[in-house]
Amino acid sequence: MHELYIAESILALTVKLLPPGADRNAVRRLEVEVGQLDAVVPENLHFLFNAVKGSFGMPQAELLIGIEEVSCQCLDCEHIFTIDLPIFICPACQSGRIDVLQGRGIRLIKIITED
Amino acid sequence: MEISVVRDVLEESKAIAQANRDIFDRHQVFVVNIMSSPGSGKTSILSRTIPILQNQGLNCAVIEGDITSTLDSERLQPLGIQIVQANTEPFGGDCHIGSHLVKAALEYLDLSQIHFLFIENIGNLVCPAEFYLGEDCKAVVLSITEGEDKPLKYPLMFRECQICMVSKIDLLPYLDFDLSLLEANLQKVNGQIEVVFNSAKTGEGMSTWVDWLLRKRNNHKGVA
Repeated sequence: MHELYIAESILALTVKLLPPGADRNAVRRLEVEVGQLDAVVPENLHFLFNAVKGSFGMPQAELLIGIEEVSCQCLDCEHIFTIDLPIFICPACQSGRIDVLQGRGIRLIKIITED
Repeated sequence: MEISVVRDVLEESKAIAQANRDIFDRHQVFVVNIMSSPGSGKTSILSRTIPILQNQGLNCAVIEGDITSTLDSERLQPLGIQIVQANTEPFGGDCHIGSHLVKAALEYLDLSQIHFLFIENIGNLVCPAEFYLGEDCKAVVLSITEGEDKPLKYPLMFRECQICMVSKIDLLPYLDFDLSLLEANLQKVNGQIEVVFNSAKTGEGMSTWVDWLLRKRNNHKGVA
């Protein structure tokens, strides 16, 4: 998936959320959570983040990526389960009517600065 | 200093998509985001679908997404509809249509005259699935020449879509394609996806797809 777009979006969102007058150069770490369904390759995201962070004034920022596992609920028997592979079948009743509860989306969780 | 945020990284894109959505709702336009890999038959299906809708007095428009060229727009020109070509970059740009491109395209459309807007996305089974454009529904086209395994290989696409059009079924006699295996694979990834089989070449199955469109539009918009 287009990790460059995501890397730039993370940095742009950080700029938006920093307090007015904050020194972007003081950003040390950005923590993100990536849903497993979004098919982001962490190594690619790291690489591209490091490639573009300087252009956003955050050359010393490190990116920490957490992967959120996919959790589902069966719409027929309401069983909640996680999946390791993209097979969306309820292990309890074999229904294919599944709702994804988590594991989708990319969120910025924390901004950590030096000061 | 530690700032806890928990914000969607793609919130700006989604905000634009929601603004698009608001415009569509104001004009009661039903919007379909059509996706597939290159060559599955999106444009051919549109060239068959639109005249059927027009014959029922329903006006259509298309936002035609491609990295480059106007070839697909040119193919649809004879239908006499509003078409906006959205190219991401002449020498190799984005692999999907973004909500900002749809927003820009709306500047060139008179939505007051339209019942259906089709967004023909860039041919790609990966990235387009990720991005909400403000559409009412997502549809994926999978041609039988691509094989039965694609739902398992591209799960996000088939999870995100409400309908899968299995296209080019006129070629079935010439291929070792297992329709029931495809249906089983689709069910493994999305037990709620609807499946229609069609051929833009012969017209077979096109009415089933159009009936689905009309039903969805009626349910979403509450219109006849």
